[in-house]
Parts: sequence; C-alpha cells; structure tokens
Amino acid sequence: MSSVNTSHVKTAAAVLEEAPLVQGGLTFSGITEKISGITEKKTPQLWWLLFGIALSGTLVLAGSIGWLFYEGTGIWGLNNPVGWGWAIVNFVFWVGIGHAGTLISAILFLLRQKWRTAINRFAEAMTIVAVICAGIFPAIHVGRIWVVYYMFPVPNQMEMWPNFRSPLLWDVFAVGTYFTVSFLFWFVGLVPDLATFRDRAVSKVKKAVFGVLAMGWRWGNRQWKHYELAYLMLAGLATPLVLSVHSVVSTDFATSLVPGWHTTIFPPYFVAGAIFSGFGMVLTLAIIARRVFNLENLITVDHLEKMNKVILVTGSMVGYSYIMEFFIAWYSGNIYEVFAFINRGFGNYAWAYWIMFTCNVITPQLFWFRKFRRSIPIMFTLSIFVNIGMWFERFVITVTSLSRDFLPSSWDYYSPTIWDIMTFVGSFGLFFTLFLLFLRFLPLIAMSEVKGVTPEADPHHYDHGHAHADAHQGGAA
Amino acid sequence: MKTGKEYWLSLRDKADTPEYRALVEREFPEGTAELALSMNRRTFLTLMGASMALAGLTSCRRPEEEIVPYVSKPEEITLGNALQYATSMPLGTENHSLLVQAREGRPVKIMGNALDGRTGTASTVWANASILGLYDPDRSQMAMAAGVESSTQAFIGAWTPLYAKYVANGGEGLALLCRPFASPTLQRQLDAFRAAFPAARIATWDAVSDANQIAGHASAFGRPLRAVYDFSRADIIVTLDADPFGTEYAAFENARGFAARRRVETAEDTMNRLYVVEPSLTQTAALADHRLRLAAGRIPAFAASLLHALAARGLAVPQSLLDAAPSDSSIDPQWVDAVAEDLLAHRGSGLVIAGRGQDPFVHALAAAINSLLGSTGRTVRYGAQPFAVESDPDSVSALTAAMQASKVETLIILDGNPVFDAPADLDFRGALANVGTSVHVGLHRDETAHACSWHLPLRHYLEAWGDVSSMHGQIGVIQPLIEPLYADGISDVETLALLAGGTLQKGFDLVKATWQQLTPGLTDRAWRGILHDGLLPRDVVLEAPAPAFDGIASLLRPALFTAPALTADNMEVTFRLSPAVHDGRFANNGWLQEFPDPVTKLTWDNAALMSRSTANALGLNDGDLVRLSCAGRETPMPVWVMPGQADYCVTVTLGYGRKHGGRVGTGAGFNAYRLRGSKALYHTTKLTVGPAFSTVKMACVQDHHGLDLEKMAREGVTERLPQLYREATLEEYREDPAFAKERVEMPALRSMWKDHEYKEGHQWGMSIDLNACIGCGACTIACQSENNIPVVGKNMVLNGREMHWIRIDRYYNGDDDNPGVRVMPVGCQQCEMAPCEQVCPVAATSHDEEGLNVMTYNRCIGTRYCSNNCPYKVRRFNFYNYTREMPETVQMAQNPDVTVRFRGVMEKCTYCTQRITRGKIAAKREGRTLRDGDITPACEQTCPTGAIVFGDINDPESRVTKEKQRDRDYALLGELNLRPRTTFLARLRNPNPKLEA
Repeated sequence: MSSVNTSHVKTAAAVLEEAPLVQGGLTFSGITEKISGITEKKTPQLWWLLFGIALSGTLVLAGSIGWLFYEGTGIWGLNNPVGWGWAIVNFVFWVGIGHAGTLISAILFLLRQKWRTAINRFAEAMTIVAVICAGIFPAIHVGRIWVVYYMFPVPNQMEMWPNFRSPLLWDVFAVGTYFTVSFLFWFVGLVPDLATFRDRAVSKVKKAVFGVLAMGWRWGNRQWKHYELAYLMLAGLATPLVLSVHSVVSTDFATSLVPGWHTTIFPPYFVAGAIFSGFGMVLTLAIIARRVFNLENLITVDHLEKMNKVILVTGSMVGYSYIMEFFIAWYSGNIYEVFAFINRGFGNYAWAYWIMFTCNVITPQLFWFRKFRRSIPIMFTLSIFVNIGMWFERFVITVTSLSRDFLPSSWDYYSPTIWDIMTFVGSFGLFFTLFLLFLRFLPLIAMSEVKGVTPEADPHHYDHGHAHADAHQGGAA
Repeated sequence: MKTGKEYWLSLRDKADTPEYRALVEREFPEGTAELALSMNRRTFLTLMGASMALAGLTSCRRPEEEIVPYVSKPEEITLGNALQYATSMPLGTENHSLLVQAREGRPVKIMGNALDGRTGTASTVWANASILGLYDPDRSQMAMAAGVESSTQAFIGAWTPLYAKYVANGGEGLALLCRPFASPTLQRQLDAFRAAFPAARIATWDAVSDANQIAGHASAFGRPLRAVYDFSRADIIVTLDADPFGTEYAAFENARGFAARRRVETAEDTMNRLYVVEPSLTQTAALADHRLRLAAGRIPAFAASLLHALAARGLAVPQSLLDAAPSDSSIDPQWVDAVAEDLLAHRGSGLVIAGRGQDPFVHALAAAINSLLGSTGRTVRYGAQPFAVESDPDSVSALTAAMQASKVETLIILDGNPVFDAPADLDFRGALANVGTSVHVGLHRDETAHACSWHLPLRHYLEAWGDVSSMHGQIGVIQPLIEPLYADGISDVETLALLAGGTLQKGFDLVKATWQQLTPGLTDRAWRGILHDGLLPRDVVLEAPAPAFDGIASLLRPALFTAPALTADNMEVTFRLSPAVHDGRFANNGWLQEFPDPVTKLTWDNAALMSRSTANALGLNDGDLVRLSCAGRETPMPVWVMPGQADYCVTVTLGYGRKHGGRVGTGAGFNAYRLRGSKALYHTTKLTVGPAFSTVKMACVQDHHGLDLEKMAREGVTERLPQLYREATLEEYREDPAFAKERVEMPALRSMWKDHEYKEGHQWGMSIDLNACIGCGACTIACQSENNIPVVGKNMVLNGREMHWIRIDRYYNGDDDNPGVRVMPVGCQQCEMAPCEQVCPVAATSHDEEGLNVMTYNRCIGTRYCSNNCPYKVRRFNFYNYTREMPETVQMAQNPDVTVRFRGVMEKCTYCTQRITRGKIAAKREGRTLRDGDITPACEQTCPTGAIVFGDINDPESRVTKEKQRDRDYALLGELNLRPRTTFLARLRNPNPKLEA
C-alpha cells in the first residue's frame, strides 16, 4: 500500500502552501511499521552502549545519594549563608525541562498546532522523566530524610499539619499535581498505540503486558469518542498546570526576602524560562532521535524550525526579565536590591552570570535568521547552550543571592564538592536511563496522532479518493 | 563475697558483679587505696551537710548509663535541678570569682560570682571555656616515670629519699619552676619550701606577664607595685601598646569601669575619650576614639614626646625626666599635642596606660605622667598583689643557665610548659637533658611532660582545693566541684606541700590551715560562710605613691630612642597573647580553638599579621606560608593582611603550633615561641620575612575570603554599613538625639492582619548597647557552654559552617591603613514577623505566646529554607552529626536542659528558653510574679559591661523596656518590617575636634 500512495502524497504536497507535517510519503501502515519497528527489532548495539553509560550515571546518582544519606548534607559545598546549592539548582533545572512536554501536549493541542504530533509523545516522556529527576532533589536535600514525610499532610498522632504558608509545601503539591496529570495525559495518549503494540506483539509476555496497558482498546467508535473527550479534558486540566508549576516553584524564591529572590517578576519569568529550557532539551533529544531512528520524515526540519521560534520568543522573554530585574532594582532605590543585581553582573559570581546571559539571551538571537533556524548543527549547538544557560540561570539566582545578602559579615562563597557534581551528573544518568527505556519499549511518536495529520487522513481535501474515511481506524493496519 | 546490701541502686548493683564492685569502689573511695591520694572531703561534707544554704558539694560522679533515681537521695540534690557553688579560677596572678552550676554532681556552666564587686556575674572567655578544660579527654590521667605508666604514689616513694637528701644539703641541686600565682596557701607552701631548702633555686615563668610593669614601677616607686586602674573615673585615656580590655590584667574589671563612663542615656550625659597608640589592632582599639598606629619600638618615643608636649603646655615636668626622654619630631606632632592638651584639660581624670610588652621605662613614664596630671589616687592606684609570686623572666634564664652547667640535679616544674613556651634562645629542652630528675606536674602530657623523667597529673581547679587573692584584697577559695575525674593526680598545693614537707597532705587541710592563719579564730560557721560565698572581702589599701623621677631616669636605655627605621630587611615583630588559647595552655580546648579572635576573626590558627602595604612590598598575600627569621631563629607562619597594622611590623600570636597539644590542639597554628628570645620577649626588630613557600587555608569566620572584595562589593559594603551599624559623635548626638532612627528612611510599616497583642503575660526582648560592647566574645563562649553548641573543626569553619549562636560581627571603618573597628553582637533577633517561620514547610520554627521564635528540633527536617530567609543569618545548620564522636568526658559538660542536636537539624539562639522556663517555674513555686532580672540569658550574664539587657518588654518598668525607650535605640534591618525583638543602642564616639580631619 505504501508504494502505491507515495506519488499521491508527493502530488498533494505540491499543492499545499505549507509543507506537509509528514514527509517522505509515509502511509498509515508505513508509520506503524516505522515506529513499531523501532521497538520490535533486535536491540541495537548503540542502544546498549548508551544504556550502559546512562545506567552507570544512575549508579553514580544512587551512590551519591547513598553517601548523602549516610553522612548528611555536609558532603555538599553548602555553608551558612548559602543553604541551597546545586540540589535546588538541579531541581529547578529539571522541573523547567519538564515544562515542554505538557506545553506541547496540552497548550499546543488546544491551540490546534498540528505540528506538535511529531514530538509530543517524545516530549511528554521527557517531561515525566525530567520531573522524576527533579522530584528527587527536594526530597534528598533535606537534612533528615527519614522524616521527609512531615512535608505531606498525613494525619498523625501529633495532630500537626505542615505549614501551608511555606512555598516549599506549595512545591510539593504543585510538582506532585503536575507529575500526576502529565503522567495521565501521557498514558491516555499512549493507549491506542499500546493497543497497536499489543496487536503486533509476538511474544506472550509482550502480549500480556501491552494487553494490560492497552486497557481493552478495541478501536471502536465509542472508544474513540471517549478517548478524544478525555484527552481534551486532560489537556484543559494540564494547561493551567504548565503555567502554575513553575510559577509556584518561583515562589520559593519570590516570597522570601532575600535580595535577588524577592522579585514579583519571577512567576512569568520562570515560566518563560522553563518553556525555553524545555524546548531546548526536546530539541536536543529530537535531533539525536530523528537521526538515530531515521525519523527525518516524521520530525521534519519544519517542526524543528517551529521549536526554534518558540526558543527565540521565550529566550527573548527571559532576556527581557533579566534586564527588567536590573531596572526594577535600580528603580526601587533599595540599596540591598541594587547591590544584589550589580553583584550578579560584576561580583564574585559574575562569570556564572555572563555564561547565563550569553547562552540564554545572546546566542538564541541567531534564530532570527531562517538559515540558522533550519540548520541542524546550529540548532543542536544552540539547544545545548540553552540548557547550559538555563542551568546557570538557576545557579545564579539561587547562589549569588544567598552568598551576599544583607549583612556583609555573613557573606561567603559557595563551591560545589565532588558530591554535588556527581549527584548532578548522576541525575542525567537517570534521565537518560529512563528515556532510553522509553525509546526502546514504547512508541516514541504518537502513531495514532501522526496519522491524523497525514494528508492521507484528510481524503476530501484532495481529489484522490482512495483514502480511508476514518484515518484513525486505518491506523490500526 | 556478699556485701550484704539491703537496698540496691540498679540491677547491676543487685547482681553485684565484680565489675560493678570495682565501679563502686572507684566511686566511693572510703577505705580504698585511693583514699591516700584524695582529700577526705566527703567526711567533711557529711559534717557540714544541710546547714549550708547552697553548698553540698556533692560530686558523685556516676557513669552516664546509670539513669536510675536515687533510692536514698542525698539531701541537697534534686534530680533535674541545678546547684551552684562558688569557687575561683586562677590564671597566673589573676583570678576570677566564679559561680559554677552543677547538674547531678557534674559542673556544667561557669558564671561570675556576683558577690565579687570587680566583675559581677561576668566571666571571661577563658573562665567560661574552662568547663570544657575540666572534661578534656586528653588530660593527663596517669603519672608517668621515664615514659612508663606509674602513679603519684610511686613518685612519693621516689621523692622520699630525695627529700631527705635535699633537707640535709639545704636544697643544693634542687630547683623549682612554677607559674606565677597569687594564693595564700601556695605562698605558705612556697615559704615552707624555701625554709626547707634554702639553697634551692626557685624560678617563676609565665610566657606573658606584667614583669615589665612591675619593674618599671619598682624603679619609679622603689617597690614592685602593680597598677590598678579605675576607668570609671577616667575621662581621657591614652593607651600605649596596651590592651586593657582584651588580654591584659583585669580586663573585665577595666572594661566594666570604662563602659560605665560610656553610658550615655540622655543628650546631657558626658563620656570618656580613648586614645590608642599601638602597632597592631587590639580589641581595645575597637573602642578607640582616636588611634595612632606606631611600631612597638617607637612607643617610648611617643611617650617621651607626650611628656614634652605636656611640659610645653605648662605641666611641671622635672627637667631630669625631660632630659632622660628626648622628644621625637617624627611622631605626628598634631596628634601628640591634641592628646597633651586634652590630658591637661582633664587634670585628675586622665589616665595613661602602658602595655605589658613595653619597656619598664615606658611604664615608669606612664606612672610619672599620671602622677604629674594628678591622676594617681583617682584613676590609678598601686599596690603589691597580696600572696602573689609574680613571673620573673630573668629567673628562668638563670635557672636554664644553671641547668646547662649541670648545677641542677632535680627540677620540679609545677604547672607550666617551659619546653614549649620558654624563650627559644635559652634552649630549655636541651638544658633539661642535663638534669638528673625532672618532674613535671601538669594538666596534660605536654611537650614538657614528654621531656621530663617524671610526669604527674595535675588536678584541674574545678576538682581541687586552693585559694586566690586579688589586688583589691579579697581572697577567694577554690573548692572542688567534682570528685577528680581521674584517680591518679595531685593538686598544686599538695605538690608544694609534698615537696616542702615530704609527705602528702590533703589539699583541703592545707587550705583550711592557711585560712585559720589568715583569719585567727575562724569558726566552722564562718568557714562555711566563706565557702558559700566563695570569697572573703578584706580591706587592702591601694596606694597613691609619688614617683621618684631619678629612679625613672635610671631606667633609660638609649636604644629605646635610637631604633633604626623599619624596612623590609629590618622589620619589627611583636608577640601577643592569644585571646583564644592564651599562651598555649588552652590549646586543647575546642571552644577556644574555634573562638574567633576578636579582631582578626581567625579560628584554629595564628598568623603573621602585616599591613597591606607591607604585604604588597613583600609580594605576599593571605595564607602565604613564609619563614619568619629573627636573630638566627626562624619559624614558618602564614601571612594575614591586617588593616591597622604598623608598616613593616609583624604581629604574631603565641600559643599555637603545639606538638603535644592533644587531639584538638596538636597541629593547630604555628609556634611563634620559636622566634622569641629572652632579651626581647614582646617585640624586637631585625625580623626578615622569607618568600612564600606554601599556602595555608585560614579559617576566618568573617571575610571568609579575606579582604579581597571586588571594588563594587567594597562599595556596596561601604554604602550599607552606616545603616547596619549606626553611630554618631557625641556632638552629633546632642544635636540630633534621634539620629539612629533617622539613619534609614522608613515608611510606616503596617501589618496585613491583626497582630497578636500580648495583652497579658510576658513578651521577651533584648537590647544591646553598642556603646558598651567591647567585642570580647565572652557571650559567644557562654552561649556555647549553656546551649551545648558543638565544635565543628577547622575544615568546617573554612566551609562557613561554624555554629556559634551569637557571633560578634566586626567591621572596619575608614581607611585600610588605620581603620576604626566596630563590633556588633548578633544572635537571633527573635523577629515578631519572623521570615523563618513563614517558610518552614513543617512548622518546625514557630512563634510562642511570649513572642519567642522557637525551634522544635524534633520537627525540623532540615530544608535550610529558614536560614536562607533569615536576613541576619543567625541560624546554624548541623551539616553533619557533630556530636557523634564526642568523648564521654565531654558529654558530661553538656547542659541537660538543652537538647543535643542531631545532624540535619537547624538551630539558633532561643534567648536561653530553658532559663526562661526555669525562672518562671521558680517564680510560680514561690507564688510570685517574675521580677525583672530573674531571668538572664547566658550572654547577658557573662557580659562584662552590661551591654546586653534582656527582659520583659510588656513590663513598663523593666530595664529592657527602659533601654528600648532610649533615643539611640534602633532595629537592625528594621526597615524589612520584621520587628525584631532584639534592638541595638547606637554607638557614640567622642572624638577630639582638633583631630577630626
């Protein structure tokens, strides 16, 4: 079937003003073969190699956390003025990364941005994995891990509730909710594809596992109807969360009185930064994945270019925030505020500030040029820069503000120890371990959704009448 | 064998195991071998028993595990209640009258004895920390003979034939080296020793002493007298390389008088003026109105110039004196003239003080100026300390020479560590090799103990009998608070009695015998009264003698005035006592090692302090390890750039670099004694500083990275300091008494909700008078002792993890070369709108109904968010389990009223909430309301100048309310709308208008 249709699709593409979202003349079954094939063929050696590296990283993380639990938070470089270091930086960093998925799934879904289908599954998985990585840090950074459950509103014999005024508690709820909804959203979206996997499975184990996960999906009309409604509702639920999570995370800083933290611009600034970093990470991973799995036709340069535009916009928003912070500090006339920002730019952590500024504000401006937006090497490099820059943004906010606050007698310099570094590196290990498992065992592109945006799925638009009436049902082929 | 007990204390007791019997035998020494060694104090106590109001002196040292209650309880002990006993801590010829709090027989907290009018309830850093010294796990526990474990009993056996021999030959070949002391009993024993061995050599040595002052006064007055200052009557004070409020004699007494003259309550009040002339910033300089930096070798020239300036303004200075001391035009004449004018304008209330490191001539000159200005008898009086044997550096030189000449067969070193701290040129250690029998009696197996053939463990003053005397005549009793921790050992009075009498006598008997001589007809009742009070006031008249000017002139050495200019090849080195580890004797005390030097804020290390320009000229920087060489001796020492240091003048702190200092003291810092010669104990020239050959990380609790702030950061600091530390001159204050409040423009602060009103009950608050604070840091250590604050070690301090709940912030004011020093004690400010409380996710820090910001350690999970959000950064986090390896003995020093915090928990000042609770309980039991002053936190209690006042701000009559109503009152960072309960009284300076540039 696929060979027959190729010419039609090509012809169809010619009449479109925009390039089609799926290229290379992929038919429904072609898409199914392509995506399912990734998980069904023999595990490539490259995967094993990458998985080995990632798993080693995870072990590093586990070892670092084990040592942390045994010895205490003293193994990190924290000191008296700087009570939060890399752990919190990493937390905010990973939560930020975890923004893109839900944004792509939910907000772009509601906005009918069809190009999202190529990357949404992938981005959602990345989100969930990133939030898992993020969730580790606030838990392990506490001094007494064995009573960390005090943070949860568990009825107890002391009749003590957590302190609902504390932004850290808001974090627990915000991140918890975000993770739950993102996970559900991702899982609901997976159900039709899981059913495809179930139907294609040859081994009994796979059949059983995918059978359970597919939750009895039978491609029925009524099922589709319920499914789409549920998906729409979840998208509606998830949309405010995209904005709220990082807003709440920003209140950790914004509601405090530390100069450099105590800033009303933080919620929108953090959200913009999170989308920025999330897209950066999706871009990095997408560029690698499309190359490794030959998905150039599904994740097209057009898709990437659109993401680059988002990066350009959010990067500029972040840049605006950086500059506005300086302006407001000056405008406030408060000497501590003024100092906090001058200190960022020219103080003991100026190097970190300028790394941040360069990576987040200056280099993304290259995306004003179409040529750069469509150049894979350029965008790959810039996406890495974005992630470096955004990590440093969190470092700059967290550490420089604390290191020099009100009383100069308490000022001190924070440097990470080997354990800070290993925990951070280890969190990447965990991230890639989980992500590689996803790539290996689950459909990395939402087959059912992509099929919905192929030209084939819209038979009335073109005068080649042999497309199926129901694109989704056709997807089961 | 059954002991036939009917009552039993515990299951282990009942089981009557051999181990337990051994334990019982050790604890209750009646009829055991130990009886011979220890005083029969218990019998004595039985006799006194209940009739003494507070004294029970019960010191049943039980093993920690035994937590069963008494079946038959000693009458005076109520479990959980503290008992307080009076005693005294000797420190050289100085002493501190103390009240020691004991819990279940363990002394746990040192406080000043309020009955002693000199210092009230204040107690010094060293006194506060001595509680840890008692429980020092590295204290010597066993006598050693030639490096093999022995016993004091064995030494007595060895001494008996020697005693007979020396009695027969009059003491030929016998020598005694002791630390200076002021003790009736010790003096009586020393007299007995002299009588028994007339030919024996006796030397007294303390690394730092007032020998120069006494020698100077000996020439001026014909008698070896000490000066006693009355700062409360002094309006103009000039210090010449002196640190009268820091490490010198009677510092707290001086500070108390000084602060009294700085108490400005209304714009009409006056205050004193302090001129400081010195080579290196001292704690005293923190209080100076004017400071002139001058090399120590140039101080005589300054004193002479001052004398000439006074004479030029009409003071009748004898010509012989003027001739003896030539004026020096290179010393800022404007400065000298201004000081002279001021002194003359305040005849009778001026005071010139020479530091202990200065030549006797300078002391004599100071005495002459005081006398000529009519101050003698008013601001300064003189006297010989009763029962005192002062340090005599010459006697050590003579002794060492005799040792080298093999004229000493037997040397007894009673307390002291001459191998470590004797002048390096004497080579005491080498000389010791020529001594047949050398006996060291000391608290530790220190450097000297290792070099001697015998070592006997000395009893700590908290576990032995003794007595002390003071310049004001009063004599105090040292009484033991606890049965000696270690079975083997001997006290200083017992040692001297043993040496002089050949037999071991009980310390108590010796002391009592002395007191019976001192106070003829001493009844038991009177004696109990003395023990209860801890001291016996006696009138000793301090004198106001007129100096003999010829005598002063005779002290003149031309070298005093003809020192060549200091250059990089001819630098000056000055030696200074450590404000933390003293002369090294407290080196194994963790609290003191971690005690930040009041000025440099260094911990765990000493350094070669030098000025910025000197360091630049030598190409050195903070932490560079260099070799200091002087007169053929050298020592490595890290560099620390210090503002206010005279150029080409290096100051080093003594007492560090111990080789056998114990687990804490060994390896901390560098040994400055290796540079110190007997001819110039305090300062000398011809010092050269080699190039840096390594670097040392210096643990400074402030400026964690030195002074090298970027330009913008320095500007930021300069901009904010006037808001943080508010001060004005007396004139400015008079013009605008509310200046402190106006320093920061603050809109009316409002609350977004209805505030808690505290209509009834208490509401605690604190006021700290920056005009009275001398920055000594006694509060830091008192707090550490009261609140079980752990010692974290140098590496942790380097990481910025020191745990002190109340710290002394030190800022500089003015230029690098000669800055002013500002000190500010900062503990938890107990904000009403506490930013820490809002952010804690588990409500582990919360507000109580008396306004305190309290910590619930059990609830804390350690997010550190509270600390981040604390603008004062007074919260301290247990990054590790700092108490995990706490030795058992040190555990005994812990205050049972205060939780020992585990790792992962935040902690901070609580205004000593345990004391508040005890105070309230006591008042309730007595059926009365709390009175102002019933409750004093440890910091207030130990403050020598009364700078800290705590109380109920709901009570309109309380002292703290009154303090807070003063016009100088301001809240640190009050503009953040935190409403801190601790507020400060702004500092005032009283500069001479003529010197205000």
